[in-house]
Amino acid sequence: MRLHPLTSLAAAGSTAVITTAAASWPLSVTVIAVAAGLSVAGGVARRMLPAVAVILVPLVLSLLAMHGLFFPEGTTVLAQWGPARVTVEGLHFAFERASQLSAAVLVLLLWSFTISVPDLVAALSTRGVHARFAFVVASTLTLLPAISSRLGRIRQAQEARGLVIRPGIVGRAGAFRWQAVPLVLSLVEEAGTRAAALQARGFGSSGPRTSYREVPDPPAQRWVRVVLLLAAVAAIAARLWQPTAGA
Amino acid sequence: MSRSSPPGLAAGIEEFVFPGEQEPVLAGLEVSFAAGSLTAVLGGSGSGKSTLGRLLAGWLLPGDGGTLTGFLELAGTRLRFAGTTADPRIDPGSWGRQVGFVPQDPAAAVSTVRATVAEELAFGLENAGVDRESMVSAVRHTAALTGLTRLLYRDPATLSGGQLRRLAIGCAVISRPAVLIMDEPFASLDTDGAEDLAALVRNVVRDGAAVVILSQRADVFLHNADTWLVLAGGTVAAAGSPTEIVAAGALEMAGVVRTRPHTGLRPLADAGYSSAFAGPPALELRDVSFTYRAAQRRGWFRAQPGPPADIVLHGLSLAVSAGEILAVAGPNGAGKSTLLRHLNGLLQPTAGSVLVKGRNIGGQPAGRVAAEVGLLFQQPRDQLFERTVEREVRFGLERRQPAADQAVQQALAAVGLEHLAGRHPAELPASQQRLLALATVLARRPSVLALDEPTVALDGYGLAALDRVVRSTTAEGAAVVLVTHDLDYARSIAHRLVRLDAGRLLPAD
Repeated sequence: MRLHPLTSLAAAGSTAVITTAAASWPLSVTVIAVAAGLSVAGGVARRMLPAVAVILVPLVLSLLAMHGLFFPEGTTVLAQWGPARVTVEGLHFAFERASQLSAAVLVLLLWSFTISVPDLVAALSTRGVHARFAFVVASTLTLLPAISSRLGRIRQAQEARGLVIRPGIVGRAGAFRWQAVPLVLSLVEEAGTRAAALQARGFGSSGPRTSYREVPDPPAQRWVRVVLLLAAVAAIAARLWQPTAGA
Repeated sequence: MSRSSPPGLAAGIEEFVFPGEQEPVLAGLEVSFAAGSLTAVLGGSGSGKSTLGRLLAGWLLPGDGGTLTGFLELAGTRLRFAGTTADPRIDPGSWGRQVGFVPQDPAAAVSTVRATVAEELAFGLENAGVDRESMVSAVRHTAALTGLTRLLYRDPATLSGGQLRRLAIGCAVISRPAVLIMDEPFASLDTDGAEDLAALVRNVVRDGAAVVILSQRADVFLHNADTWLVLAGGTVAAAGSPTEIVAAGALEMAGVVRTRPHTGLRPLADAGYSSAFAGPPALELRDVSFTYRAAQRRGWFRAQPGPPADIVLHGLSLAVSAGEILAVAGPNGAGKSTLLRHLNGLLQPTAGSVLVKGRNIGGQPAGRVAAEVGLLFQQPRDQLFERTVEREVRFGLERRQPAADQAVQQALAAVGLEHLAGRHPAELPASQQRLLALATVLARRPSVLALDEPTVALDGYGLAALDRVVRSTTAEGAAVVLVTHDLDYARSIAHRLVRLDAGRLLPAD
């Protein structure tokens, strides 16, 4: 069964909310494991990994530095350098927050990497979401592929003129300084042309809109979405009523 | 065709000036296009054709896009512009419903957020709120007219240059606009595509639309036009029927290319060529096959089952000697550009090998092969990335060497752009962008010159420069491989002609 993009969004969103609200590391770790498993099964793990690394590595490191070294409530000191103390409690707290955050980031990234953008745009516009907004949503998800294909074209043009780029990601990263300025300039220029084309094809008009693409939305999935949203609300409510639960 | 009917579209342009510039790009120009008529606006590179087209089509808006004094008239409503803030504002959406436009660069017309050719065609209809049933039949009808039926479920990003142009034309005609403006629509279309387009234009005119074709080539089909307007220096230099204009000799003065009517295939200009240069062939392909890696996602989340990966090239073998000109002709999507990208190592064959001067280039980075093989890309915008013309040509040459200065000067002089060294490449008209791209290739003095559709977008002066360059580089011992859909051009310059069809090499005739 194919998931409606809003169903998968509801699933990802409510999972992120529930894990955050529950603040229980076994749940967070389970969610991380499931998301990682799904990304491998879905064949997106390789593309997702750089994005995951870019977002999570600095976040997790800063959490470890903050709470691992400076956790006032910590009593079991493992090591100490002046004011900085590594405490068991601090590490535990940092680990908890990091797993919670990682779980939320992973499920949302998994959603964005597995979603069919055209389906999402069609689903949003049939729900009366403003076309410009739907386009912005779609563009944020297609921006990275667009930038990378533009970058690829510039790189090819430069290679064709004698820029030697060693194969592999390191070689490409090293050559990026040659492409940075042309890339930004060409993206800005292209945005201008694209805007004129979109306007002339009636994109800015305020009248009703239809959709050529059909995105099936079976009633069962609508119910699933309602249940997921209720679960997320319930998790927040439980957290607010029992602020210490799980912490 | 009725001459007395009110014009579908008319314009009186006293002056149009781009923001930040002093000189007007269009001046003293009055045009009018009647319903059910075909008009060709002819002019060389930089004559103001594309600016006029975009202004008439609502892609360039008076106000933000530049200062207009004069008027625009659409379907009987005249908008007057005085170049002040009190001027009327054009709503590009409602203007665009009545005026369809195919830009010179077809990729600029594509929305980029639609997953298939069918959805891209429907984009304008969706925005106008057309019901789905009508959209489906309009898409089917338009696809049949433009030869896109077999490509309806392809991702627009994977189309070849000629296929993309068909798509841009389809997007412009699908909503049946009262006026249809096309900028160089015949460029990069193969014979079938050009015939399809000619039939389509006839249909659209018969249905009562005003069709305006902007072109720097007086193509054979354009002789069917009711009126020719010759544009030079931003104003109408001559107007009249094709016969009158040809008789007055106005085309040559404006740098418009005249194509000869087809009188059967002419013989090769220089058949039976034998190289005067000793040594191994400058370029050799041995059994080269190529398949694009399947790009679709695997696994559970596959959005739509895509077609299996196609074999693009099937065991190609050929050799080109030093000083020889080989032309590869073939329809849109035959794999011509893919073939050229193998010559300088931008693509590596899945099987077989490519040899330059007897050395296998397999596994070498493209940047190293570039010293021997220069590639002119099909689209200048894919080749140009620098801030000035001079920097563009200098890129990749040894820095701070007098030899590099000289190479830059010579390359620019060879294509006649030396007076534009300080300009921004994106500001140049298409023909000069193309010549600049050619100069960047020449500056490296390659021993193999690979040219992808070199004639597209060139005006009369540009074609003459291309001809000079190809002949002089081969005289110096370079081998030239050029890929073109223009058989007539291929025959006028090549020593040998082969045909590439569905990835297989065939003899030309």
